[in-house]
Amino acid sequence: MRVVIAEDSVLLREGLVRLLADAGIETVATVGDGPGLLGIVEEHAPDLAIVDVRMPPSYTDEGLRAALAVREHRPGTPILVLSQYVEERYATDLIGGGTQGVGYLLKERVSDVEEFIDAVRRIAAGGTVIDPEVIGQLLGRRRSGDPLEALTPREREVLGLMAQGRSNGAIAADLVVTEGAVEKHISNIFMKLGLQPAQGGHRRVMAVLAYLGLG
Amino acid sequence: MGELSRDAGAAGGGAVRWAAARWATATRAGDGSASVMNRSWHPLAMARSSLTWRSALYLGVSLAWGLGWFVVLAVGLALSVGLLIIWVGVPLLALLMVAWRFGAVLERRFVLAAFGVRIPAPYRRMPEGRNPLAKLKGMAGDPATWKDLVYLAVLFPVTLAEFVVSAAAWAATGTLLFLPVIVAVGGGAEVNFGVSYWAGNPVEALPVSLLGLALLVPAMYVTRAMAMTHAAFAALMLGPSPSQRENAALRERTEHLRASRARGVDAAEFERRRIERDLHDGAQQRLLAVAMDIGRARAKLDEDPEGARALIEQAHAGTREAISELRDLARGIYPAILTDRGLDPALSGLAGRAPVPVEVEVDLPERPPAAVESIAYFIVAESLANIAKYARATRASVRVAREDRWVVVEVIDNGVGGAVARPDGGLAGLADRAATIDGMLIVDSPPGGPTIIRADLPCTW
Repeated sequence: MRVVIAEDSVLLREGLVRLLADAGIETVATVGDGPGLLGIVEEHAPDLAIVDVRMPPSYTDEGLRAALAVREHRPGTPILVLSQYVEERYATDLIGGGTQGVGYLLKERVSDVEEFIDAVRRIAAGGTVIDPEVIGQLLGRRRSGDPLEALTPREREVLGLMAQGRSNGAIAADLVVTEGAVEKHISNIFMKLGLQPAQGGHRRVMAVLAYLGLG
Repeated sequence: MGELSRDAGAAGGGAVRWAAARWATATRAGDGSASVMNRSWHPLAMARSSLTWRSALYLGVSLAWGLGWFVVLAVGLALSVGLLIIWVGVPLLALLMVAWRFGAVLERRFVLAAFGVRIPAPYRRMPEGRNPLAKLKGMAGDPATWKDLVYLAVLFPVTLAEFVVSAAAWAATGTLLFLPVIVAVGGGAEVNFGVSYWAGNPVEALPVSLLGLALLVPAMYVTRAMAMTHAAFAALMLGPSPSQRENAALRERTEHLRASRARGVDAAEFERRRIERDLHDGAQQRLLAVAMDIGRARAKLDEDPEGARALIEQAHAGTREAISELRDLARGIYPAILTDRGLDPALSGLAGRAPVPVEVEVDLPERPPAAVESIAYFIVAESLANIAKYARATRASVRVAREDRWVVVEVIDNGVGGAVARPDGGLAGLADRAATIDGMLIVDSPPGGPTIIRADLPCTW
């Protein structure tokens, strides 16, 4: 597996390269700013681009704009955006173009090495990984007459994990219940929210994220 | 609504803060006291307004007041100027000067009582101390004293003219209006307007009353016109000159700016102390503990690998806590998303992280200046933090809207209420920050709730 990295902090960039190398993932190119990202993506056609949000020249949402440019010019390139702060609005922008091969995580998740590597592999394979904090923010936001109010606490937990892009098996392991119980929760959730019951992980995530106002 | 100002003991003085806040209110609301200068001209409204009748009374009886001053001044000045040769004139003249200054002070009161027009005293400050001679010298050197004299001297012809016009207007109106009463008391009466009309009893006099009612309107208008003229003349002669007014306004504004600058400096200092404290108590201590754990793990590595592993786990958890603390601290200093995307996303993020459901509504046609955005954001952040800590609320709402030149921020919760802005508390600091841009913060939190925190921030786009 080959990745490119856009990150302005040398310390973190080297750390990432080493951490990926430990897991047998090769870093083929790195840049330290936003505009350079598209160039290395076009040059190397990597399996995944890992991008920091805040980079020169503007130090605002440079990396996010670079990621959107990549999605526009090289659609199908999986992208993982790392952010010092999780902001739902960034996630909304990123997922606006579809949830195929997209990740949005807090930078500090890098320190949970196994989980991070797992997320990298899932995104490169076309999955979706959204930081639990974004989902928390989305679930915490209320609109008047929100059907989310009708969910039990357990169902809300399941919805949160589902929105992060977890599979039924992973959710079952997380909550220490059987996969059958998870499936039952999910069908209840879909009924309460008035969503079409969707088969398979990916379409399901899309439905949930769309419901939560992402994408 | 309670104004938010720190206790009077705080640096800078509560009165100044209070005045600054009041000044902001006044400039926002406009000064709306009723006087003959700004009341409606509708006949019914005028008849209902006590100002009309107070003016009529003053204009009718002020001749005595004007005549009195004319006599006092004519006699007094003639005497004292005549006696200046033998020095007796000097104290006499001084006495007269004190008297007419007092008369001018009274006249200002009368003008306020009769016409509702407030004339500020234009006098210079008296010299300090108890020396009466110095005070008299100060009085004689003040141009306002001599303007008082001129005003009181010409008051006689002015009031005479007013009396003549008032008497004519009101005597005719009154006689016609109350003719039935007059007829009832004194027998028949003849009214002659080129056409003679004889009213032998009160019922026959009623049509004349209607005529009197019609005459009431021009009488009121004449009175109103005279009242306005008199008040304008009094304001010109007894009030501060334009340059004095400008000076007073500038002084007030300077004082206001000085106070708000002081508050801004205080707020910034307070904020820096808070950041230093948070860093010291939080991330620094955590990282120190992590360093100790790693040091112990290094020491144990050879003889106790299991113990070392546990310590490394602990250190790992500690670094993660330190990172998330630093993240929250940095976001508290300045949220990056605010710069990138503005208030709506930034406030949605705040609401999403709040422990209770928060509805956010941001209605701004375009982005306000950065200072306004930042203050608005921190007001919401602090309010939501307070709600989480003290309010025991189950829901809250945040509204930000543009109201002509102002951005209004409102945070409402359904908690227990009783919120007060303690000196050195977060809310007081926010009020200080708002004051730096001439904004103001109002906390309305009766015991039992709901609590409303509202900030009005001026914006000129």
